[in-house]
Amino acid sequence: MDIAAQLPLLLGLAWLVPLASFVAILFFGPRMGPHGRNAAWVATAAIVTSLVLSLLAAGTWLGAHPVQAAHHGGSHGSDHSAEAAGPVAYAGDWYTLYQGGGLRLSIGWYIDALTVAMFVVVTFIATCIHVYASGYMHDELHDVTDHEVHLSGGGHLHRPGRFPRFFQALSLFCFSMLGIVIAGNLAMVFVFWELVGICSWFLIGFYYERTSASTAANKAFIVNRVGDFGMLIGLMALWGALGTLQFADSKAAGPDGAQVVRPGLFGLVRPAEGGHALQVPDGMVKFAAADLVATTPAAEVAAKIDDWRSMGLGRWLLFIAGVGIFCGCVGKSAQFPLFVWLPDAMEGPTPVSALVHSATMVAAGVYLVGRFYPVLTPDVLLVIAYVGAITLFIAATIALVANDIKRVLAYSTVSQLGYMMLALGVGGWAAGLFHLVTHAFFKSLLFLCSGSVIHACHTNDMRKMGGLARVMPWTAGTMLVGCLAIIGAGVPFVIGLSGYYSKDAILAQALSFSRANPAHSILFLAVAGGAFLTAFYMFRLWFMTFAGEPRDHHVADHAHESPGVMVAPLVVLAVLAVAAGWTLPGGFGLPNLLEQARPAGTAEGMTGGFVFGNLTFPAEHESHEGAIHVTATLTAFATALAGVVLAALMYLVRIISPAVVATIFRPVYSFLAGRWYFDELYHALFVLPALGIAELASGTDRGVIDRIIEGLAWTARQLAGIDAWIDRTIVDGLVNATANATWHAGLELKKLQTGHLRQYVMFIVVGTVALFVLASLLFRTSMAG
Amino acid sequence: MTGSCVGAVVPLLASAGDGVSVAHYLVVGAILFTAGIVCMAVKRNALGVLMGIELVLNGANVNFVAFASPYLRGQGAASLGLDGQVIALFVILLAAAEAAVALAITLNFYNNHATVDVDRADDLKG
Amino acid sequence: MDAAASITQPALWPLTAIVFLPALVAAFLSLPIVPKAREEFIRWTTLFTTAVVFVLSLWMAWPQLFGAAGPAQFRLGDTGMQAVVKLPWIRAFGIEYLLGVDGISLPLVVLTTFLSMLAAAASWPITKHVKAYHVLFLLLETGMLGVFVSLDFFLFYVFWEVMLLPMYFLIGIWGGPRREYAAIKFFLYTLLGSVLMLLAILMLYFTSDLRQLSPEQLLASHVVSPALDAGAQADAVRAVRDAKAPVHTFNLLALAQIGQLPNSPFAATQIWGMSLEKWAFLLLLIGFVIKVPVVPVHTWLPDAHVEAPTPISMILAGVLLKLGGYGILRICYPICPGAGLDLAWLVCGLGVVSMVYGAFAALAQKDFKRMVAYSSVSHMGYVMLGLGVWSAVAGHDYRWDAWAQGVNGAMFQMLAHGISSAGMFFMVGVLYDRVHHRNLEEFGGIFNRMPVYSGLAIAVFFAGLGLPGLCGFIGEVLVTLSSWNYSRALAVVSAFTVILTAAYILWAIQRVYLGAEYKGPHGDHLTAITPRELAIATPLVFFAILFGVAPQILFNYVAPSVNRQVETLADWTRRVHDAKPASVAAIGEQGPGQDVAAR
Repeated sequence: MDIAAQLPLLLGLAWLVPLASFVAILFFGPRMGPHGRNAAWVATAAIVTSLVLSLLAAGTWLGAHPVQAAHHGGSHGSDHSAEAAGPVAYAGDWYTLYQGGGLRLSIGWYIDALTVAMFVVVTFIATCIHVYASGYMHDELHDVTDHEVHLSGGGHLHRPGRFPRFFQALSLFCFSMLGIVIAGNLAMVFVFWELVGICSWFLIGFYYERTSASTAANKAFIVNRVGDFGMLIGLMALWGALGTLQFADSKAAGPDGAQVVRPGLFGLVRPAEGGHALQVPDGMVKFAAADLVATTPAAEVAAKIDDWRSMGLGRWLLFIAGVGIFCGCVGKSAQFPLFVWLPDAMEGPTPVSALVHSATMVAAGVYLVGRFYPVLTPDVLLVIAYVGAITLFIAATIALVANDIKRVLAYSTVSQLGYMMLALGVGGWAAGLFHLVTHAFFKSLLFLCSGSVIHACHTNDMRKMGGLARVMPWTAGTMLVGCLAIIGAGVPFVIGLSGYYSKDAILAQALSFSRANPAHSILFLAVAGGAFLTAFYMFRLWFMTFAGEPRDHHVADHAHESPGVMVAPLVVLAVLAVAAGWTLPGGFGLPNLLEQARPAGTAEGMTGGFVFGNLTFPAEHESHEGAIHVTATLTAFATALAGVVLAALMYLVRIISPAVVATIFRPVYSFLAGRWYFDELYHALFVLPALGIAELASGTDRGVIDRIIEGLAWTARQLAGIDAWIDRTIVDGLVNATANATWHAGLELKKLQTGHLRQYVMFIVVGTVALFVLASLLFRTSMAG
Repeated sequence: MTGSCVGAVVPLLASAGDGVSVAHYLVVGAILFTAGIVCMAVKRNALGVLMGIELVLNGANVNFVAFASPYLRGQGAASLGLDGQVIALFVILLAAAEAAVALAITLNFYNNHATVDVDRADDLKG
Repeated sequence: MDAAASITQPALWPLTAIVFLPALVAAFLSLPIVPKAREEFIRWTTLFTTAVVFVLSLWMAWPQLFGAAGPAQFRLGDTGMQAVVKLPWIRAFGIEYLLGVDGISLPLVVLTTFLSMLAAAASWPITKHVKAYHVLFLLLETGMLGVFVSLDFFLFYVFWEVMLLPMYFLIGIWGGPRREYAAIKFFLYTLLGSVLMLLAILMLYFTSDLRQLSPEQLLASHVVSPALDAGAQADAVRAVRDAKAPVHTFNLLALAQIGQLPNSPFAATQIWGMSLEKWAFLLLLIGFVIKVPVVPVHTWLPDAHVEAPTPISMILAGVLLKLGGYGILRICYPICPGAGLDLAWLVCGLGVVSMVYGAFAALAQKDFKRMVAYSSVSHMGYVMLGLGVWSAVAGHDYRWDAWAQGVNGAMFQMLAHGISSAGMFFMVGVLYDRVHHRNLEEFGGIFNRMPVYSGLAIAVFFAGLGLPGLCGFIGEVLVTLSSWNYSRALAVVSAFTVILTAAYILWAIQRVYLGAEYKGPHGDHLTAITPRELAIATPLVFFAILFGVAPQILFNYVAPSVNRQVETLADWTRRVHDAKPASVAAIGEQGPGQDVAAR
């Protein structure tokens, strides 16, 4: 079997196994051992199978396309035929959802080095989290008393545990995320995008008896849907003008049975014949030039497209498409302004937070931007960069003052995602995705560590912790590794933790971009400032939790090291958090693997832009060399060191009192502690008006439309009343009058009937005589006549 | 009323010329009839009324018999056979039956009202 | 597809049996020999009848399931009418007993028989006047099926009215506290629509003239039965074409052929400054959109649903609303294509307004069933939008695939909504049967009390939410994607609806199923779902998933007929509409269609 058939099979299976686990647990979960204990094994076995399959796929990939030391600016891998055409990728379809005319929506695959790497990362981290969760969730194996739910009759909720249900949702979550990773077209991305959303709904709302949990779940899904709204617009712009959502070119049987190559999005936007340079695709030009097309003879349209393109027609469509798709990523990856759902998502159990915050869900947005990169125009990239910069700054500032250990980590996730977006936005395709992978390792590590702490302390509040390093050495140690990784610690130019490499790459690219576009040098400042803030709040967290003396003895006495099943994943992840960024001698390492998937035409850098002026995107390899690299590395080192030192001064040796600082900067502090009041702002700006409009619509129905209808009915009844009156008085009146007249005539005539016999005789006589006289007179007259 | 009857009869008598003719009988019948009518109209006693009825019927009978008699008819007139007499006999019979019924009613009336004054019998009033 | 080839013979029995079997059983049940007290017997008879009808329709739709295909069974991929029944009915007016199915109507027929069966099973809690209820119920089924299979406009109208009356009684007698108000409101709204429709029917009838059609068209539209032998066909064709006076017709297929003629009498006749085609289109449209329903003629729906008993709500949402969409697709557009093109903005606009308005109104409801009713308004808006984008064909290259995508999406949405809305109403009914209230604020914690039921209910509500993998997604996405080529603004607004849909459905789920404890009265009556209820809910959930995962099952039926119709009308636009030079510029504003041509 050749690799083109092998990879979809391996990864397809790796993708579907968690679905099988989901179905199995859905139907048989409660019957899997006592209290469904074995559901954890089913789900873990499934995800381990996925991991093994992914590793096999990775092996297959590496066998066919060995990773070599990067020769910057060129193509990589051994597939010589593909070298000129861009990155090596295998694409195809499994399944058709809809086909009509030339339009087709399908479920398919697009596999390149990025896909393979993401599969390994997602399944690996998911495996760790499954193992960890089977320990963490043991409470759910028996009846649970939920102390956060107060019943109306007093007391707390007592409910049966739901261990299997957790793993059921976890499996579905992995399936959905892998679906996004393997997706061969945007429609499929959208399908699994939504599924990821609903899985997060299940998991964030796992403790659905708590109003806060179900509200957070709803918030996550609805905020994500706001992003999806933009994504749908992007999809429509692409679909309407181009008629395809496939990433890669596909072969299809034409009307005459011959094989026809139907270009995919990448091929349309960066056609090979143009050296993969970005251009507005023909379809969009024609779409935008509809007026001109209608007045041009059909035969001449094709010849004029280039003219129209140079007039700038269609570039807005491409811009809208890019921004639209990015909107979806903003929602999923919790970017400004849609990041508000992520901190609330802490309502879910901690393993879920770890999964959501590292390898799934939030990673999906960054992944999609990376995947969709060839179609993004310079203007879209600038939007992405600025959104990333704003996000990383806002989230980092909020993290400075948060006291909930999980919230600090949540905001740090938002901030790091901002880093990734910014990196992608300034042209650092590999840097952004590299950081995505390294971040997945150390963020899941950090979350699992925090879960271990919470598991031990039964509280999230860092102010009640302190000195835990003594009782939880493994947790403290691994968490320290995570903190060092996230701040990018390392010996400059020699060696460092994984974050050291990825963060350096981002800084370097941002610096390179700022040099090329001085108007946007604030982006570099944001990155550098963010690095300082990151170092500060991460070590604030570590010092407050593990260093010093216990602040709350009740908590400290209770604390203990977590069981082995929870510690083991920590150690494994810690190792990877250290080593994931290393490049082995010979060039084997993540950055070079990712380089294999680098979208065609992005290695050389790019210039252009019409919305925000002319922009220059320097090639990424330039930032790895010379002065820029040195400056970036030193900046990163200095900012991180400054952050750690300041945190140490405030929380370890306590030379600077945090309370005093908070008092001095009271307004700033409360503004940050209030999380910039985004929730309140959105509530006032969107939620209340939406509910108001809803009431208005409902009220219009009852108050206006129904009133009109009832008014019509009332009018009809009034008219009917008039009609009835006419019937009663005029028509009936005439009839009754006739009857009355007859009646009264009868009454009058009755008086003749005296009953006196003698009168009757007289009447007879007189009548007879009268008749005689009359008859004789008449007779005579007629005779005479 | 009587006058007008007489007025009608006079020409008949005048045209009779000689002997007893139908006209004389008709005059007698008319007188009887008129007397009966008058009797019915003026008598308040039910028996008187009944008698008046008898007079009326017999007045009519006289006419029937007179018209039916071959002797009183003019020459050349077609014979009526016994039709007149038969009808007269019918009338007599009918009168007898009628008298019986009427007397019974009268008797009952008397039993109920202790009078035979027909003016008191106004139950038929509408 | 050669239409004549797709006709086999006058196959009287499958369609006639499907349509009239319920009415026959209703007649039997109404006889005095069936004692009123034997309620169980009446219920089982009804359920059995609906099941038999369902199996019959399945036999038609899925021959493989029953072994070899008979000539009266449906052949997948044929675009024309199949299993046509043609008998004269009222000769003086050329009214015929003309039935037939194609890929558009057959899935709706199967949906109707399927939902009728489930609704019959859901009728067990009805205890008042059981006999009368079931008689009316079966009559209703006959009416609905008749509408879907009628090809004669007059017959269509008769069935339309036959359906209306039982519905009125079913709501008015077996409904909730305000049942009489709701029933009258329903009746008046629909009757208004019917009257306007009748007006349009007569307009079209008296303007139509069969002599304008070619012999091939006469055969294709079953005016002359293609089942006759050649000689008889020629005689019949000659009889029509040589007639001295105009030959009017109620035949829907023939009316469509006439309406698409270059010299269509409908377009040529003017009434008060507007073409008769436009008048007829508007009148029919009003009649149909009342049924759909769209804003602002939708207010009968919430009231009717809230008051109607559960099975009737299922039928009402699952089938009756589809009649409007079906009518627009089958009657309005083919017969009045010119008006359809000119008024596409109206159809699309109504659809989008309904989507947004219905979603907002649903968000504000406190009554569970009313919320679901408004969600129907919102979801049926997609159907209108999908049918409306239809005219996106206009442009220089007359590509029809984006347009067909919209119509296919609308058809799918109708079928999917048939499943999901019936399911949602049933789920509300299950709760109502237990606690006798529907106040959203007074639920909560149902998931812990009734886990199996809640799982199924949440699945059904997610189908309504348009979640991928469930049936609601495909139709919504296809319609939304196709609308961009017609109007960017409408497309954006329709995409916006996804946020609102998520909001009202998730909020309702949160208030009803999630939470710690039940807040309303009769909490102790919240017993687990019964086997009967499970037997109704499971198929609905199953099909919601099946059609969401494998939409091709439905598209195999729907798409050939829809594509054929859309292609024909696209061709009409090029041939007839744009042959008039004045209209070229007006259409040029619309999108140029797709750029998927092979390169």
